[in-house]
Amino acid sequence: MAPAGASPGADAGEQEVPDCKLIEACKNGDTQAFEVLVTRHRGKVYAMIQNMIKNEADAWDLSQEVFLKVWKALPKFEARAKFSTWLYRITHNVVYDWLRKRKIESNGELDDGLLNPADIAVGAKTAPSAVDRPDKALENRELGDRINAALATLNAEHRETILLREVQGFDYKEIAKVMDCSLGTVMSRLYYARKKLQTLLSDEKGEN
Amino acid sequence: MKKEKTEELNVKWVDGLLSPEEEAELATLMEETPELEAELFQSRRVTQAVREGVSGSVEPPYGDFFNSQLMRKVDLEIASKTPAKRAERWWQSLRWAWAPAGALALVLAFFAGQRIGKPAVSGAGVAGLDKSAPAAIADLPSIYFTSDQLNADVISDADGEVSAIVVTGLDDLKDDLDLSTASLGSDLKGLPVSYLRSKARNFQ
Repeated sequence: MAPAGASPGADAGEQEVPDCKLIEACKNGDTQAFEVLVTRHRGKVYAMIQNMIKNEADAWDLSQEVFLKVWKALPKFEARAKFSTWLYRITHNVVYDWLRKRKIESNGELDDGLLNPADIAVGAKTAPSAVDRPDKALENRELGDRINAALATLNAEHRETILLREVQGFDYKEIAKVMDCSLGTVMSRLYYARKKLQTLLSDEKGEN
Repeated sequence: MKKEKTEELNVKWVDGLLSPEEEAELATLMEETPELEAELFQSRRVTQAVREGVSGSVEPPYGDFFNSQLMRKVDLEIASKTPAKRAERWWQSLRWAWAPAGALALVLAFFAGQRIGKPAVSGAGVAGLDKSAPAAIADLPSIYFTSDQLNADVISDADGEVSAIVVTGLDDLKDDLDLSTASLGSDLKGLPVSYLRSKARNFQ
């Protein structure tokens, strides 16, 4: 078993152990294997949640909640299912539970302030991790900011569909499984989300 | 064409996933709607921008702390489940002994019943005849008579502590005999000497 707790990507040995092997070890109570699994997937889960709720502290806590639920539910995980789809399904549930609670706490109205584009930290967590030339990096950061601002105006379902498709690279069927909806609904959400983004980014371009 | 089909064709074209049949359908649609092509290209550019502008993986701040916190919660979760499991295992580990323990209990109950239900030594046994109380018989007094015509039966309780001696063969007592004043005479002849002495002491 690869050593646990190593920083992501630092240990090439971790990558050699496939998820299915780690999951089997986890099912037998191997917490070290679970930590390897967490280290491998925490970045994607955190990014997904952060892009959904636009709040670093809550995204951190919700990511913890996701992985704790994963640990609890691992004995029921069937090997024929794709782990990443299952993981994002849990992430989806945790995020929507949180959004529902926020909605209730704000007297039934969705807390739009939460998704206010102006509140999004400039170039923070959604900036590309690769190091570019300074001018290119600035361009990318500006692009990232604009896109994040546009994404924040979408409703949760449209935003999640776009993130799963364009950012996480899920196919339509996987998106349907994660979001527990039909293929047609996925298509429709993608179509309207893209159209809205198109409008928002075109408008901004026109303004600039 | 149905709205849903149009949406699907649009989405798949942007993703480059159209089948030849679908491409033909979309070509027909484009002929009908000239502005569709520009719209599709614009949509593809936006999609590309999202893919480039949004990172799919962002390490949570303080990654090591993230892991240590999470693993602490996992340990707590494991600890919360452990007592129940132990109890279950302890209980299960005794299952193999249920059958032998039950059989043993039956045997013990049988022997206990045997002991409790054993008939007590007869409280009215006749000396020499009651074979079920050999210890009591050993303690019975021996009685001797000077006359061959006399006979004594000793009746003892189970412990041999209380005995009754029935003497037969004696002459009947006369009706006019006054025991309080009677002297020891021929009427009492034949009784054991010890009995006679005892009687004599009582009368004095």
